[in-house]
Amino acid sequence: MNLGLNSKRRNASRVVPREDGAAPLDIVIGVMAFLAALALGASLVADRAAESWRAGLVDRITVQILPPEHGLAQEALEKETDAALVVLRSTDGIVRAMPVSQEETLKLVEPWLGKDALVADLPLPRLIDASILPGANVNLAALTRRLKEAAPHSALDDHAHWIGRLKALADGVALFSYGILALIAIATAAIVSFATRAGLEAHHDIVGLLHQMGAHRSFVARAFERHYFVSALWAGAVGALLAGGLFLMAGGLEFAGVEPVPFLPPLSLRPLEVLWFVAVPFAAGIIALATARLSVLAALRKIY
Amino acid sequence: MVRFENVGMRFGPGPEVLRDVTFALEAGSFTFLTGPSGAGKTTLLKLMYLAEPPSRGLIDLFGRDLATTKRSQFPALRRRIGVVFQDFRLLDHLSAFENVALPLRLSGIRKIDYTHDVEELLSWVGLGDRLHAKPQTLSGGEQQRVAIARAVVARPDLLIADEPTGNVDPDMGERLIRLFSELNRMGTTVLIATHDRTVVERIKSREMRLVDGRLVELRMTRT
Repeated sequence: MNLGLNSKRRNASRVVPREDGAAPLDIVIGVMAFLAALALGASLVADRAAESWRAGLVDRITVQILPPEHGLAQEALEKETDAALVVLRSTDGIVRAMPVSQEETLKLVEPWLGKDALVADLPLPRLIDASILPGANVNLAALTRRLKEAAPHSALDDHAHWIGRLKALADGVALFSYGILALIAIATAAIVSFATRAGLEAHHDIVGLLHQMGAHRSFVARAFERHYFVSALWAGAVGALLAGGLFLMAGGLEFAGVEPVPFLPPLSLRPLEVLWFVAVPFAAGIIALATARLSVLAALRKIY
Repeated sequence: MVRFENVGMRFGPGPEVLRDVTFALEAGSFTFLTGPSGAGKTTLLKLMYLAEPPSRGLIDLFGRDLATTKRSQFPALRRRIGVVFQDFRLLDHLSAFENVALPLRLSGIRKIDYTHDVEELLSWVGLGDRLHAKPQTLSGGEQQRVAIARAVVARPDLLIADEPTGNVDPDMGERLIRLFSELNRMGTTVLIATHDRTVVERIKSREMRLVDGRLVELRMTRT
């Protein structure tokens, strides 16, 4: 079966000459593949960044003790912090609960408020960082209630809101990338369809002759689709290689100590992720092949 | 083998190019189609080799009424017909060898299985030393011989030739007609459109004459 298919392909090869004016199509497909690989890389980076952010936050809870509005703030804070620590440490599933020191808290607000001596006098809340045993099912509602009883000014944050927003952001970036990939695929198909029709027009006499000699529509389609598949494969490989090189270069720069853009995840890809780029030229080839085939078959259907 | 009944043909809103054409070609027959230029010979051949559908009338080919035959079966019918086009219609990017081999490739035959036959046939038409020449480097006569070799290489059931001796010298013309006769002896039904009277007189076979779109004369010149 496979042998038969190969011999059919061989028989259909070179029946249609390679067009002299095919270079622009190759360039467009190369650029499309480059953009597709960039979008793909962006989705991989976003996905990995979101995963690492999530991994850092999941299984962690933070308890915040707000300074009371009246009375001796510091003393009350310490008392409520100790009470909250006792509650946390006595809760099943919580493996660690440590208060965040005053210095560390000041460091956290430093980017917004600065290092001024005045900042130290501000009524800053006390923070307790706690870890949940991975997989343990801690009843957060009950824990909040118990914390409130022991320390009325406490507030429990399980980062669900933040994780949810991160997930939404990462999902958004991924969805956006898929959208771009889909648009690129559609644009590539449209270009190839246009080129195929131009090719059919240019080789009208050849197609007519083959048809006249009893060539099946699929034979003629094979002659064209093979041509566009090979072109798209090469052009796609060049585009994907350039994009892959760009990501590797970004990774190299970060490795060499050049600061990445603040707040953005590192742009480098892991070697295994670069393998995804191998799929890009094949996808380009298959899109070109399928489009060329459908265009030729549609055009031939109109001939008697 | 071929049967036309009241076939008419017009292109667009123009006048009928063929009118009420009725005839039959028996299997294994050898027939000339003659008539002045513009009489509709090429159009008649086109209907026969399935390049155009008729405007009206019945065409029966290899025992099949074309009007009721599925389009998907046309390629198989076309492969049983060898055509020598008046303008040769060779593929410029392929060599003489590759042009002649085309019908065999279309039938899915492997190169190793047809190389000998193609080379032998090209030698027979005097192009044994031009196997790898591209059509544009061949003279008109040589191109015509390549076109004829391509039409006969797959031993078609029906051979249709449009002015096949128009561009060759009388000697080669005779050689080509002998090739057609040989093929005819082996069972191929042959129809040759020509206005070369010497060819028609030499073979002394059935002659159909087209004048102004009508088949006005139908006579046997066989002695």
